[in-house]
Amino acid sequence: MERWKQYSGLAAVFAVAVAAGLWGFRATGGSLPWAKRSARALQRGIEEGGGSLIDLGRGIIIAGPIRKGGMVLEFAALVVLLVAVGIGLYIYAERYQDTEDETA
Amino acid sequence: MFPDILANMAHIHLGEGSFPLWALALWTAFGVGLVGLVVYRIRKGGIKTHHIALAGIGAAASFAVFQLNLPVWGGIHMNLTGLVGILTGPLLGTLIALVVNVFSAALGHGAVGLLGANTLVNATEAIAAYYVFKTLLSMDWDVFPASAGAATIGLSLGAVLMGGIIVISGVNGSALPRGDLAFAVAGLVGLNLGVAVIEGILTGFVVQFLVSVRPDLIEMVDRRATEDEPAGVSA
Repeated sequence: MERWKQYSGLAAVFAVAVAAGLWGFRATGGSLPWAKRSARALQRGIEEGGGSLIDLGRGIIIAGPIRKGGMVLEFAALVVLLVAVGIGLYIYAERYQDTEDETA
Repeated sequence: MFPDILANMAHIHLGEGSFPLWALALWTAFGVGLVGLVVYRIRKGGIKTHHIALAGIGAAASFAVFQLNLPVWGGIHMNLTGLVGILTGPLLGTLIALVVNVFSAALGHGAVGLLGANTLVNATEAIAAYYVFKTLLSMDWDVFPASAGAATIGLSLGAVLMGGIIVISGVNGSALPRGDLAFAVAGLVGLNLGVAVIEGILTGFVVQFLVSVRPDLIEMVDRRATEDEPAGVSA
């Protein structure tokens, strides 16, 4: 398929999703963290609000239940464990595939 | 009141007891049914070795990114379930959704009672992303627009399912009539669609990069490249 058609299709999908996102952002209180946003929306319904879409000053933070529950260390340990298992499986798959190729 | 209710990037974080018991039973039954079907299909068809490796790495990446709140759209987290679906397929993608939700719930990020509902939502994202990607490739789309579009559509479907689950179940303690609740939830779903675009673009770049360095890892792309190669017969 011609490239301009592909990117036009992708742009159309993005346009619909961004429009829905902007409506949802304003309709559910504007620049609110999710906990407050959803609690308000589910308790009191739609409430218009504004604010910036991006707030770089806040930085990237670990999800509230983990941070407030003092489980950052457990979270870090789990991530390390999963990454180690993932890399281990990758190495295993590479070797296994090499052996398979040699046998064939 | 809602002590810990948040639902972002198509992931329901309701406190325990926020859904009525019948709804918990219903979504858990659907979740168990889906996982049961997936395990049966995997046992019957087997798994390729490199898919297991991708599943391990995918689960690690998805779990880690699940817990990181980004300062965009008021504060959201990503899932990478679209990426996981494209890389590992619908079967392993569903199991990864289950694993990530179990680990997240164990850390208090999402209720244990909602594991069934959340697995359904995230598995839908992975499954839909996989099939949309496959369809777009068969229509001869390039890898970036196909993967970005597939992830965006998959995540959007997951968001819609998430909203549907909340509206059908109703929320204990909410005095909103069902119509008003549906409208409020539609706002949350709408916002998730906007977030899906960011994750879709990210997914597109990751898949494009993987295809450029290890095309064999993504079976659909590898197969298409093999089919496109000349037969090698010369006069």
